[in-house]
Amino acid sequence: MNIVWTVVTVVALVALTITNPQSVLTVCLDSSAQALTTALGLVGVYCLWLGIFEVAERCKLVEGLSKCFAPLNKFLYGNVEKAASEYISLNLASNLLGVGNAATPSAINAIQIMEKEEKLSRSGAMLFVVNATSVQLIPTTVIGLRASMGSANPADILLPNLLSTIVTSVVGVALVFLMYGKPAQNPTCLTGEVV
Amino acid sequence: MNYVVPILLIAVLVTGLIKRVNVYDSFVLGAKKSFNLSISIFPYLAAIFIMVNALHASGLDVYVTKFLAPPFKLLGVPSEVVQLVLLRPFSGSGSLAILTDVYNTYGVDSYVGRCASVIMGSSETVFYVASVYFAGTRVKRTGFAIPIALLCNLLGSVVACLLCRIM
Repeated sequence: MNIVWTVVTVVALVALTITNPQSVLTVCLDSSAQALTTALGLVGVYCLWLGIFEVAERCKLVEGLSKCFAPLNKFLYGNVEKAASEYISLNLASNLLGVGNAATPSAINAIQIMEKEEKLSRSGAMLFVVNATSVQLIPTTVIGLRASMGSANPADILLPNLLSTIVTSVVGVALVFLMYGKPAQNPTCLTGEVV
Repeated sequence: MNYVVPILLIAVLVTGLIKRVNVYDSFVLGAKKSFNLSISIFPYLAAIFIMVNALHASGLDVYVTKFLAPPFKLLGVPSEVVQLVLLRPFSGSGSLAILTDVYNTYGVDSYVGRCASVIMGSSETVFYVASVYFAGTRVKRTGFAIPIALLCNLLGSVVACLLCRIM
């Protein structure tokens, strides 16, 4: 991330300085302001979902969800802490329902519990890849945009979209298994690190 | 589809009521965490936005798109959507703007328009997600996570264009 970001930014800034030097500062400041607006927007979104999560947790709903997904989680992640596996289950449920806004805070919570080192663990990599390639039953935003732009059949992309997300998810998970090996199933290894 | 979120919210709250949980206190306790979470993400967002916007303002993105159009053509990705494929990992709002552009220029129901729709639906803003996920942790080295996700994004785009041709 360090190298990619620095190289791309430097190249872009050099090009911008050559083509339009007086816009460099404006672009940078506008971007920071845009980041703040986005972050503030996220406060509202996370506020709702983290509040609802807390209620669901107190009702033991999350525990039930976690039990439902336990076989799948065990296959994908091996042994993870109970709290992390609850957030992973919440994350999976949110992704399947197409509530991306709820998927993000649950994934962040799981990552914060699992990742204590500077090097990303196998479980963290798996969670990231599952989210970056998530199976989407209904791409709400795209269908909404298609409808608003006068498409004759806004939802006719449903099937190709579903198939294509299934392909990417399967390949993504397979690649994690290929690069990191099988997850640790040893009950004493609580974080699910690579053996 | 419009009912998923409302039903979810009501179901959780009603369950809390039935199980005699203090719903109000629990909600407030959970919601309290949202501010710190968002603020910890902010500097990472700023870094990503500066990179993407500088790239766009300098016109480099157009140049890179032109340069990479032929290899994408070989993979079956039409040149009209290459810019979308390239920008998608970096910016959600940016790629949404390009998607709208594609719809306006080539038509929503054209082959190119449908390709762009499926590419948008089956790929993810990898760099944005990475910066948000790892913001509050000590993680510095992400290993294979980002390369795998990017490869899947690319694969998703190729599969999308292929599927739109036959479906």
